[in-house]
Order: sequence, then C-alpha cells, then structure tokens
Amino acid sequence: MKLKPEDINRIAEKMHAATNLRDGSGSARIIVHMGTCGIASGARPIMKAFMDELNASGREDILFTTSGCAGLCSHEPMATIERKGETPIKYVELTPEKVHEIFENHVINGNIVTEYALGKGSERMA
Amino acid sequence: MINLTINGKKEEFAEETTVLEASKTLGLKIPTLCNNEFIKPYGGCRLCLVEVATERAPENSRMLPSCCTPIGNGLIIKTDSDRVKKARIFILQLLLSRTTDSEELKQLGRELGALVEEGALDPVGNYLLNRTEKPADTKCILCGLCVRVCAEVTERHAISFYKRGMEKEVRIPFNKVAESCIGCGSCAYVCPTNTITIEEVS
Amino acid sequence: MAEFRTHLMLCAGTGCVSNRALEVKTALEQEITKQNLQNEVDVVSTGCQGFCAQGPIVVVKPDNIFYQLLDVKDVPYLVEEHFLKGRQVEKFMYNPPDSKEKIPTLDEIGFFKKQKLIALANRGLIDPEKIDEYIGRGGYKAAIKALTQMSSEEVIEEVLSAGLRGRGGAGFPTGLKWKFAAGSPGDEKYVICNADEGDPGAFMDRSIVESDPHAVIEGMMIGAKAIGASKGFVYVRDEYPLAVERIIKAIEDAREYGILGEDIFDSGFDFDLKVNRGAGAFICGEETSLIASLEGNMPEPRVRPPFPAVSGYNGKPTNINNVESWATIRHIINNGAEWFSSIGTEKSKGTKVFSLVGKVNNTGLVEVPMGVTVREIIYDIGAGVLGGKKFKAVQTGGPSGGCIPESLLDTPVDYESLAKVGSIVGSGGMIVMDEDNCMVEVARYFLAFTQQESCGKCPPCREGTRHMMNILTDITEGRGKPGDIDMLLDMALMVKDTSLCALGQTAPNPILTTIKYFRDEYEAHINDKVCPAKECKELIHFDINDNCTGCTVCAKNCPVSAIAGERKALHVINQDTCVKCGICKNVCKFDAVRIES
Repeated sequence: MKLKPEDINRIAEKMHAATNLRDGSGSARIIVHMGTCGIASGARPIMKAFMDELNASGREDILFTTSGCAGLCSHEPMATIERKGETPIKYVELTPEKVHEIFENHVINGNIVTEYALGKGSERMA
Repeated sequence: MINLTINGKKEEFAEETTVLEASKTLGLKIPTLCNNEFIKPYGGCRLCLVEVATERAPENSRMLPSCCTPIGNGLIIKTDSDRVKKARIFILQLLLSRTTDSEELKQLGRELGALVEEGALDPVGNYLLNRTEKPADTKCILCGLCVRVCAEVTERHAISFYKRGMEKEVRIPFNKVAESCIGCGSCAYVCPTNTITIEEVS
Repeated sequence: MAEFRTHLMLCAGTGCVSNRALEVKTALEQEITKQNLQNEVDVVSTGCQGFCAQGPIVVVKPDNIFYQLLDVKDVPYLVEEHFLKGRQVEKFMYNPPDSKEKIPTLDEIGFFKKQKLIALANRGLIDPEKIDEYIGRGGYKAAIKALTQMSSEEVIEEVLSAGLRGRGGAGFPTGLKWKFAAGSPGDEKYVICNADEGDPGAFMDRSIVESDPHAVIEGMMIGAKAIGASKGFVYVRDEYPLAVERIIKAIEDAREYGILGEDIFDSGFDFDLKVNRGAGAFICGEETSLIASLEGNMPEPRVRPPFPAVSGYNGKPTNINNVESWATIRHIINNGAEWFSSIGTEKSKGTKVFSLVGKVNNTGLVEVPMGVTVREIIYDIGAGVLGGKKFKAVQTGGPSGGCIPESLLDTPVDYESLAKVGSIVGSGGMIVMDEDNCMVEVARYFLAFTQQESCGKCPPCREGTRHMMNILTDITEGRGKPGDIDMLLDMALMVKDTSLCALGQTAPNPILTTIKYFRDEYEAHINDKVCPAKECKELIHFDINDNCTGCTVCAKNCPVSAIAGERKALHVINQDTCVKCGICKNVCKFDAVRIES
C-alpha cells in the first residue's frame, strides 16, 4: 500500500465520529436516564430507539450517553436533550414513537417538542 | 592565517593544527599521558587541559583538552594559568589514588607538584594520596594507548577495554587468547606506566 | 455516529499493566459481553495516561468520567451500575487527599486541570497500536505539509523561530542543531531518536514511545526532510520492553501504509527507520556514546568538535534528538512557530513534561508550559506532600541536577531559572522529598548511581565519583571528619571542571546543591554524628517508649527477633541485633516506636 495525502484525509474522516466521542465534542448530546426505575419502565428500548435514529442519520457530531435516575421516577423513561449553547430539555414518559419525533424536531432542527417536555433540565454539557 | 592569543602573546599559524601541537612549536610544555603522535587523539586522560576563551567572551573560559582542540581565529588560550596547574595536579593525584607504585607516574607527579609531602598537600590532595585505599593492585591508568595502538597502527584489535567505570580493564578476548596478536610489542612500547611487559615464550 | 456509544479508555501503560490493568481489561470485556453490551460499549487500550499512582485507570468517554485504582473484583459492579443502569459509581472515583468529596470528571481533577498537553497530546485518547486512530487525531498531517508543501529551509526556519530547545536536558536550540546538520556536506545523513532515558525516576520518554509512537516517527520524518537524511534510528533502552514493542509495531504499520519507505506521499522523499535496543548503560544517553554504541563500538563519549551534526554515525552528519523533542515537532509544523513561541517564557518556549514522583500525593507525568513555578507543580498539580508531611526539597534533573529547597519553591521551571539556583531542567525528573529524607543520603544515592554508570574514560569522573561517593558514605556512616565538607566541595568543583562529558561534569551537582542549602545536615552528621532526618542507619537507633501496651505485634513481626517483652509489658529492642528495617515502627498501632539519632 502506498497512501496519498487524500487517503490520510479519508482515514481521518472515517475516525471522525470516534474522535468526537473521545473528545466529548459535539453539537448535541442525548442523555437517556437509566437507573433501576428507568430500566424497569423501559429505558433500554428508548436508548435503542435513539441509537437507531442516530445511526440512520449518519451524524457524527451528536453524542449519546446515559446517566442514572433523574429523580422523577413516576415519569420514566426520560431523556435529556442538550444542544450546544441551548438550554437542556427533559422529555418524559417516552415511547419509541416519541423518540423519532424528538430526534427529528429537537435534536436535528432545534425545535423543542413541548408536548413531551417536562421542563428545562439541569444537566450541563461537559 | 590563523590568529590567536596564547599565554598573553599574539601568535600566528599558517595551517590548522591542534592547540597541543601549536604549543609545542612555541616551546610550551603541556604534559600528556594518553597522547601519541601515531594515533588519533583521545581526550581521555585530561592532563593536557588548557583554558580556552573566545574574543567575544574573554572572561568565559572553558577547560578543553589541547590534544583534541583545533586552533582557531580569536581564541584566547592559557597553558599555564593557576586553574590549569591545579587541574594537572588533580588529575595526577587521581591517577596516583588508583595505581600502586608506578615510578613513571610518581616521577610525573613530582614534576607537576602533585606528589609532595603531606604537610604541603591541600585537603583534596591529602585525601587522594593518603586517606583512600587502592581499589586494585595495578599500574594501569586506562589511558587506552595500548588498545588504540593495536587498533589503529597494527590494526590487530588483539586487546580491548572491558567493562566500564571502576571495573574497566584492558583485556584480551574472553580473557583467554588473543589470536590476532602478532607479538609486535607496540602496546608495551607505548604504555606510560610500564603496566604491559613483554615476555619471551619459547 | 460512532460504532459504540461509549468508549472505555483503559490505561495500558507499563505502570498500569504492572498493576494488572490487562486483567481488568479482560474482566471488563467479559462482563460487558455477559450484560449484552458488546455492541454499545468498547474497551480501548491506550498508552500511559500519566496519573500513574492511581492505576488501573479507565476513563469513560464521552462523559470523561475518571475511574481509578480498579480491581478485577470491581468490574461486575461497575459494568452493571454504570454501563447497564447508567449510574456513575462514586466509590471508584478520585478524591483529593484533603477532602472526601469525589471528583467525577477528568478535567476537574487538579492533577489534569493545570496541564497543557502538546508532546502528550494524544494521552489517553488513542490505541497506540492502531495507526488509524493516530491519523484520526490529525496524525501525519504535519509530515504531509513538510514533505509536499515546504522546503527544507522553511521547515528549519519554522522550528528555529518556534524556539524549541532540546528536551533531553541540554536545552540546545533544536532548529540550530538541524541547521548545522543541513549545512554539512554529503548526501548520506542520519536522524536518531535518543530513547535511552536513563535518569532514575524519569519516565516521560517511556510514556511517549509506548503511548504515541507515531508522533516520534512523524517528527523524525520531518527532521529527516529538513536535514536531508533518508535513514534514522530509534535507540530505545532495553529496559523498556513495551516501548520497544510499540515502536517496532508502529514502524511496521507506517511501512505498510507507505508512510515509511520510498517516495513518501509522492514527494520524492525516502525515509525509513530502524530500532536499536540499548543494553543497560546510562552513558548511552550521551549522544556521542549512543552513536558509538550504534556503530557497534564500546560506548564512550568522544571529544567534540567534531559535533555529530558534522561527523556522527559512521562519520556522517547526524542529528540526534530526544523523544519529547521529536514528538513536539509535528505540532510546530501544524500550528506554526508563533503559536509555539507564545507558550512558555522568553527564553524557554513551549511546554515540558515532568515526571512528578517521590513524597507527593499525585504521582505521574505532568506537562506544563515553561515558566510554571515549582510550587504550582507540587501543590496544585501534585496536591502537596504525601501524608501531610513537611516539604523539604525537590530534586530536578535527576543525577545531573540539584535540590531546590522550600525557600525557592516559587522558582519558575525554565532553563535559565533552574540553572540560576544550581539545578537543571534536565530530562524532567522531579523527585519530591520531605522531612524524613536525609539530604546527605540523597547526594550519596546519586553519586552511587553516577559512579556505577561512569564509562571510565576520564579520571575525574571515574576516580572522582568514586572518591566523592566514599566521602559521602563515610559521612552517612558517622566517619566524617571536620573539614570534609569544604574538601568535598573543592573536589566536586574540580570534577566539574575537568570531566570529559556531561555525566562527570554534572555528577557533582547534587553535592553542590545539598551542601549549599542543607549544610547544617552535613555538619550534624560530621560534628555530632547525628542524622537530623533520622534516615542514616548507622546514626540512628530504634526505641520503644511508654506508649507501649505490650501487644507483642512488633516482636512477632521483627525479622531478626530483636524485640523482647512480656504481654502487657514494655517491650525492649536489642540494639546489637536490630537491623533498623523499620518494620516494628510500621506495625505499631500505638506510636510507641521512635527513631532516635
């Protein structure tokens, strides 16, 4: 093999997503709240739904992470959406269908889906 | 032409040469131990150290081995300053502290003022000559002349240094047989302390 | 999106591996599979992450959660709690020595917060055995730029204006060194990486070669282009087997990609590297000895001139630089000389990696801009002296360096400032000492090292270090005589003035600085036969006082059965039998064992 500069760029591009993840840098972050209550009420399918959306979108600048119980156990499953520079929003009583809407409208386009939202969250972007 | 100052006098030389050689032509005596005209200079024994400064920074002199230092324009060299004399005494005393009974070394020591009575020694000299034990029974000062002559003149490489630091010695391969030795005797000839001797083997 | 949602960056540097990090890795992988998370959570082995006393370490990305001191038995709980249930586990997090409060993220931890990573830019972020990951973080961009868009003169000019000074210890301007080599006639030239890191307590170079070997390769490639070399050597000490392994693999991977070899990036430039291993001689860190060793000769320093830039390996122009220097080059090419020279001080540009070790809370590798004070490194980054003891001195620059006392803690760390107080930056070793360290013993320790490592070519070093070590040994064992301190000073200065190379010229430095700042300790040893720090075995004895409850634990643990006593009665140490190992003091729960001098 004899790599040209373009090949180096290509490899760098391919690694882009991993690099962003390790740097913790991205334009948006999806946080699915787990914890026993979260998992019991179905947080894992929600997590899978968000991950599927993310994969399908092909976006490399959106990070995904989990956190523990958010405290509002009666409203699980919950997720917080943070877009860089904007207030984090908590979404409650999620279903896979709602995930799709939230991903399209809020994560990608920045439009908060108020009917599913609880309120302005307190988790900060790292 | 190369112009420099040696011992306060301006000197001029037509060709490049070492400070040691240049000083010789001026009749200045610089003692040496590891130097020999037939082999490359080694800079190891440190006995030929002289003070060298440049015109740009005349107060900032370094001690350099004259056998290895080329003359250059604007150099200010001292071959006989107190600093140089003190260094020569120190080197000799260090060598005397490691060797047992080398007449040649003792003679040189007396000439340089390194080997004097206890009362005339400074604390360092007194320590080196009187307060420390010899590490081994040897006259070898590890000047390397024997090794280098065998490598560079006869190119036999029959003897070499072995190990490092205080354990350093001159040895034949694996301490067994020096197959490439031709018995020329050059090593014994150049040895300054009579450590290597030649024996007739019939 | 990345293939996995979470990357666990597990430190697989030598320190952590010795602490069973690879077992933790296996346990993590097994547990993750068990919990069916193998498509979501990836375990990545990185090189040394620098916080060496806290290993095994795992950093969870993207959250940057820092887990430390992990054990195999912790893994099931960790995986279930954090990666399955999403709850971060506090008990594996770091807390500073003076507080119980845990600090979850890496960037909030004092040790990391004040560091500025340039040479260590990829720390904890890549698997050093995967060239793609290096490329993913901008690797080889600088080489492409230097090889295809810059002339040799432009490259040299950039490094010269940046003001980079050799990080191996001498601090010679790197760009100038390259200029000399470039200007030497001949088309057979060499570049060499000095990875023989011999200073006790220094492991900066080891970390870089283990964790980011491609950074070294890229730097050497740029340097080779600058001076006109087509071949290079990486001389690694054999005592670093992981580093040897990693650099060899990196070179193979680069070759496979055509990044090493002929006509690299179609630039017409050829370059390839060979790895040579050292064989246990500190003197090989000295450049002319290293070259001799590479040539197959016995390592001994050569008198310079001629300098290696004119006549080096096999008599050809050779440029030899330290690992850290090479690893810094690509950043200068990528970001420019102006950027680099905006960091640091007027005469010492950029950052320097230090190995902060000894009696300090946070032990590890620290990269800071030149000019940061010693105090900031020890107290802000190092979180102060271990066990709350009193700071006494910090040794910088290893056996060639000097001790800096408390009064000089605000000395900025740069070449000129440290030289002014009698020490050196050196390779970057920083050993913190407390009230229990005897400064005479410190000097003796370093002299024992230099004496052992002296090549033996010149009498001042070969004989001189032996005598100085003997004098110091005499002093620590109670045989010092009045007048010895000044005699030792005299001898030290003579050795400094007459030695052939930097080993001998700097070997006296620990003596000169400890006498300068701690002369009273020397005097106590000589005049009163007392070791104020209570460390020198010949001058101390162990005693049991009336805190003793007669629990017999000390007697039971004494390896030479030197303690006698009935249950519930005062125990007594037999001074003739006692070997002063200190075990009794360690096991006594009542603080009844005291050391007297």
